[in-house]
Amino acid sequence: MIDNCAILPCNGLDKCAGAVSREVAVKLCENNANEIICPVFYRVAEAKYNKIVGEHPLIVIDGCQTRCASKLAAEKNLRVFKKITITEEAKNHNIVLSGGLTPGESDKVLVDLILKGLVNEPENSGLISDVQDISCNFDYNTFQNGKFIFRIPRGAQIYFNENDCWAYVIGNRARIGVTDFVQQNLSDILYFTPPEIGAEIDQFGEAGEIESSKSVFEIVSPVTGKVTAVNSMLEQKPELINENPYETGWVAEIELTDFENDKELLIGFDKYFELVKRKVEELNG
Amino acid sequence: MSESTFMGVQRDKIDWKPTIDYSKCDYCMECVKFCPHKVFEVNEEEEIKLIVKNPNNCVVFCRACSKTCGPNAITFPDKNTTTQMIKAIRKEENND
Ligand code: SF4
Ligand code: SF4
Repeated sequence: MIDNCAILPCNGLDKCAGAVSREVAVKLCENNANEIICPVFYRVAEAKYNKIVGEHPLIVIDGCQTRCASKLAAEKNLRVFKKITITEEAKNHNIVLSGGLTPGESDKVLVDLILKGLVNEPENSGLISDVQDISCNFDYNTFQNGKFIFRIPRGAQIYFNENDCWAYVIGNRARIGVTDFVQQNLSDILYFTPPEIGAEIDQFGEAGEIESSKSVFEIVSPVTGKVTAVNSMLEQKPELINENPYETGWVAEIELTDFENDKELLIGFDKYFELVKRKVEELNG
Repeated sequence: MSESTFMGVQRDKIDWKPTIDYSKCDYCMECVKFCPHKVFEVNEEEEIKLIVKNPNNCVVFCRACSKTCGPNAITFPDKNTTTQMIKAIRKEENND
């Protein structure tokens, strides 16, 4: 249920998806106590909206993948509560946008479907699941570069891929996440898109996304299997990934289906520690 | 250089790079701004203003720039094919 939220739509006036995004925003405000933030006015007169965005959860509606509204939110350092992308929604609902600049019939159907989806959404949708009590108290080795400190956990059950994601393997399960290298490069993480619970992910497939004002990072799964749990804390507090990407900032749990094979393309602590040191040195010249 | 190998395999043996569909690309250059690895090159003078200049700089299994592309003009090789290829090369090299 979306109520008492701040709504930041893309409002792209020259694109159909922009018109639909505006329509969704307007409808959300007609029926509930939500408030629209005009992206154009927000750019020039931020003060008008500071109170609203400071006190209410923020819903961002992007028209297309150019993600102008998301980028504006990131620029202003806003924490996003929920994101909608109109072109993605259209794809998911099998609807072809009319292409016109005023919403046509198919666009209206889509607007209704999106609104229905939002209204029916249970609290904490899909994020509660059978989280196992995996205690992650790792031992770390650290190194420093300038003011940045990098911690890498060590232990026989911890594996890494060269895309800076880790897996902590216990039996046929693994907990996965990103390493300090990702977290330090992105700096303040403002948004976390979880992988879907129940989704089957291949090794090197996408296991969600994290986003800061600097960049977007796709989490590249170190293992193959089924997502059984997602760290629901990250939805409210994505900054936990900055605080500790291995313990409180874990991303998801995966039921492993092909770990013997996955292992071939994973490395252990020793190799990853060397790799990450090299990467940091290369980045800083 | 960590960039020159991936999982011990020479980078230039691995097929992983963005491919631009020029019938969709509108030269917004978001991908260029996004990628820190100098994979793309811009040439305003040419008819095709943007090319994948250094495919081997692309981080294997990264797909991030495609997310910045509004018109969905960027595609990547199939990741399972690439994974199999890396494994095959590693086997071959270990047998040598
Ligand atoms: S982001 Fe997409 S549309 Fe923009 S220049 Fe790159 S390939 Fe072309
Ligand atoms: S996939 Fe990643 S490394 Fe490759 S070009 Fe795109 S952003 Fe750069």
